[in-house]
Amino acid sequence: MKRSSILILVLSMVLVLSLTVGAFAQVNNPNTFTKINMGTIDSLDPHYQYDNASSEIYANIYENLIMFKEGDITQYEPLLATEVPTVNNGLIKNDGTTYIFPIREGVTFHEGGTLTPEDVKYSFMRGLIHDRNGGPWWMLYGPLFDAGGLSDITEQVVGVENPSELTAAQSAEVYAELDKAISVDGNKVVFNLPKPNPTFLSVVVHDNGLGAIIDKEWSIEQGAWDGSPETIAEYYDPAKESDPLHEQTNGTGPFMLNTWEKGKRIALDRNDNYWREPAQLERVIINYIDEWSTRKLMLQRGDADVVYMDKQYQSQVENLDGVEFISGLPNLYTGYGLMNWTIDTKGNPDVHSGELDGNGVPSDFFEDINVRKAFNYSMNYDAFVSEVMDGDGQQARGPIPEPFLGFDEDSPVYTMDLEKAEEHFKKAFDGELWDKGFEITILYNTGNSMRKTASDMLKYNIEQINPNFKINVRGIQWASYLDRMIAGKFTLGFIGWGADYADPHNFTVPFMRSDGTFGNFKGESYKEWAKENGVDSLVNKGVEVTDREEREEIYKEIQNIAYEYATDLYLYQPTAHILMRDWVQGWTYDPILHDGIYYYRIYKAQE
Amino acid sequence: MISYIVRRLLILPIILIGVTLLVFSMIMMLGPYERLSTYIKDPAELKNVDVDVLVTKLGLNDPWYEQYGRWISGVARGDMGWSESAGSTVTQAFLSRFPATAELGLLALLPVVVGGVILGVFASVHHNDFWDHVSRVLAIIGWSVPTFVFGLIMLMIFYGTLGWFPPSRLDSWALDIVNSAGFINYTNFFIIDGLLNANFAIVGNAIRHLVAPVITISILWWAFIMRITRSSMLEILRRDYIRTARAKGVKENVVVYKHAVRNALIPVVTVAGRMVLGLLGGLVITETIFNIKGLGQFMAQAAQQLDYPAVLGGTLYFGFLLILINLCVDVSYAIIDPRIRLE
Repeated sequence: MKRSSILILVLSMVLVLSLTVGAFAQVNNPNTFTKINMGTIDSLDPHYQYDNASSEIYANIYENLIMFKEGDITQYEPLLATEVPTVNNGLIKNDGTTYIFPIREGVTFHEGGTLTPEDVKYSFMRGLIHDRNGGPWWMLYGPLFDAGGLSDITEQVVGVENPSELTAAQSAEVYAELDKAISVDGNKVVFNLPKPNPTFLSVVVHDNGLGAIIDKEWSIEQGAWDGSPETIAEYYDPAKESDPLHEQTNGTGPFMLNTWEKGKRIALDRNDNYWREPAQLERVIINYIDEWSTRKLMLQRGDADVVYMDKQYQSQVENLDGVEFISGLPNLYTGYGLMNWTIDTKGNPDVHSGELDGNGVPSDFFEDINVRKAFNYSMNYDAFVSEVMDGDGQQARGPIPEPFLGFDEDSPVYTMDLEKAEEHFKKAFDGELWDKGFEITILYNTGNSMRKTASDMLKYNIEQINPNFKINVRGIQWASYLDRMIAGKFTLGFIGWGADYADPHNFTVPFMRSDGTFGNFKGESYKEWAKENGVDSLVNKGVEVTDREEREEIYKEIQNIAYEYATDLYLYQPTAHILMRDWVQGWTYDPILHDGIYYYRIYKAQE
Repeated sequence: MISYIVRRLLILPIILIGVTLLVFSMIMMLGPYERLSTYIKDPAELKNVDVDVLVTKLGLNDPWYEQYGRWISGVARGDMGWSESAGSTVTQAFLSRFPATAELGLLALLPVVVGGVILGVFASVHHNDFWDHVSRVLAIIGWSVPTFVFGLIMLMIFYGTLGWFPPSRLDSWALDIVNSAGFINYTNFFIIDGLLNANFAIVGNAIRHLVAPVITISILWWAFIMRITRSSMLEILRRDYIRTARAKGVKENVVVYKHAVRNALIPVVTVAGRMVLGLLGGLVITETIFNIKGLGQFMAQAAQQLDYPAVLGGTLYFGFLLILINLCVDVSYAIIDPRIRLE
């Protein structure tokens, strides 16, 4: 080929490329919003799901009685209720123990049913009866019954610890107790609290799936709780996949489920019969792609409007054309390494031999405070914050994140000190651990590079201390990650907690109380320890006390207990960020939905 | 010919039993608690149940032949347990992912085999001249560039820059059509279903999405098939009967294409069989880069997650596939070289 021909060929290619690259000034698919996430969601049942990925889907399909005012998580506005209860409007009565919600009329569910106060009562009763292990219902059992869950009520009322063992007669007795808390009065639903609880409204607000209202008749037809007082045992703590609302939805929200292809894609269609003005977007698609390069290219091409990005890729996106990167958003979130004090070793490959024989770890590996402290001293917190988080965030100082009461920037924290780690490893199990060594597998959820890096850092540092220490790092899908945690098979793994509502109680319960979400996952020995050492009562006292200073002291003490006993490995409080096309309009940050989006307000336009 | 195929088919059940015994022995290497998941069809069975009671109930401590009997009858009914990583039964997981992998693999097969053979023959005919060197260099490059590098380059150029060949199996609008009530998913192979529904937009869209991954796979296998064909051809072209044919004045085209190529294809068919197994078993990297939720991605995920039922189900699948492909290869030998039928 002649030189001139080659030149013409090269120039033509450059011309074609430059024309194509510059062809994206216009909005792509203006009525369809595409988000590319990683991992998968856990469940579509609003009363079952309790993770960020799932809550985004729930929040667009289902509605609660009230919601946050746009951009302000301290103010409420009505949603399926016509008014937000306040003392002034007379809907909070009896010294804050009665909350009255007038129910909106003329609202229809996606499948055609009409919203009634009975639906509201059924929704809450169904959730209270479900009270699945690791689920969100502890948040409502506190204000409504001053209890941690259904098992507390069954034990109190009929002396049965496990609700799935209730007889029909016992079930009816328990139901009568639950029934006292919620009643229907004409067009109103009334909640009766045993004592004032300032968190009640923030628990039932939209963003928390537990307050989602479902259609009673439709749900019963699908096989959900039949509404009978005598069937609690049958419907308590359902298996995820056999839950009839796991894969199908029927809410009143601005979007309806079109398709859920597990692990691949979720498509939502606009609800044209919505009781408010229908959403501007006709369709929302959430694709799940674990490969970052593919996600990034789809954003660049304009085939995606928002993509999930781990912080470490920030430098790759800061100057992309047509892409907006917003970072440094406040994040009410604590990321930590959960240590399971009583690992279920049956059929659990992550404990290897399951014995303290140098080839595995025993069930009570993390029950030993020296092991926990050694792990805490083995993490390089500074490097994690500066390198992995790119400096956007800080080291966590315990369960409570900034800016809640109890967070103190001068409180003690662990720093990496391999000598101290060695000291504690030598003391652990009376020196036996040091002599024999151990092998353990740490899990992370696939696609989450930050958690993988945290696990790798622990592995690297600990394996240096003693050649007989072996740590394996393995990634698994998000839903399986949660399942293993619930099943008690987790060893140590990184996970986080984002606020359900703006109060430190929302962090102290899940992290520290024996029956809290993570407390439950940490096994029996942690539960006993938390009860015996007054952690439970301290957490409860924190929400009962009204004096601000006294509350602050309680929460500081809880932070300190987490440090002193190295209950877990508190790692980071990140800032939040979002990566989206610059044509995305109407987005406001909601720290409760975390990186989830409420699509009702979103539209696409080049401005 | 027919008696040859019948003989092969008669051996098939014995090999199949051998494969199932092998997979079952792998299952038996697991402890009873781990084995449990290969017998569970719904995780609800594990709720509020003492695991030891369940182990006894399912007879997981019974003699191995009794357990094998129960397991094989389950497999025959399509019960291979519950896959934690898929959130469904193993059979459902395979059925939902197989079409994506098979569509990609089968579409890659034709260009790979035809292209590789043509290039190999071409290179051997031009032995040691300029085009032979060019072909060999290209083959070395094709074989050496890692798939993830080549795949990403393909994606960056043909999707990121040119926007021609996007990732995934279909565009969103096309997925909406495929998921709609008006479109019948006969096979979940989008090209075939598009044709059967007379929806050519779906066919076109499915092909557009397959071009980049097919090229990515083809480059690697092209190089391999080309090298095998070339070596085999060079060996054949040195044989006496080729020399005789040339001496008799037979035209070079006839010598090459009628006398040499057919005999040179035996090793190519062997390699192609292995290649089909690889293609239908899923291509982890290609599937990951191009976001094709196929068997390769699933098996990698299952293995990483220590999802025993899925891994064992996959082993069984590969075993059966291998037997089937070997049968096809054997039959192909007999077609290519009649002497094999007589042995």
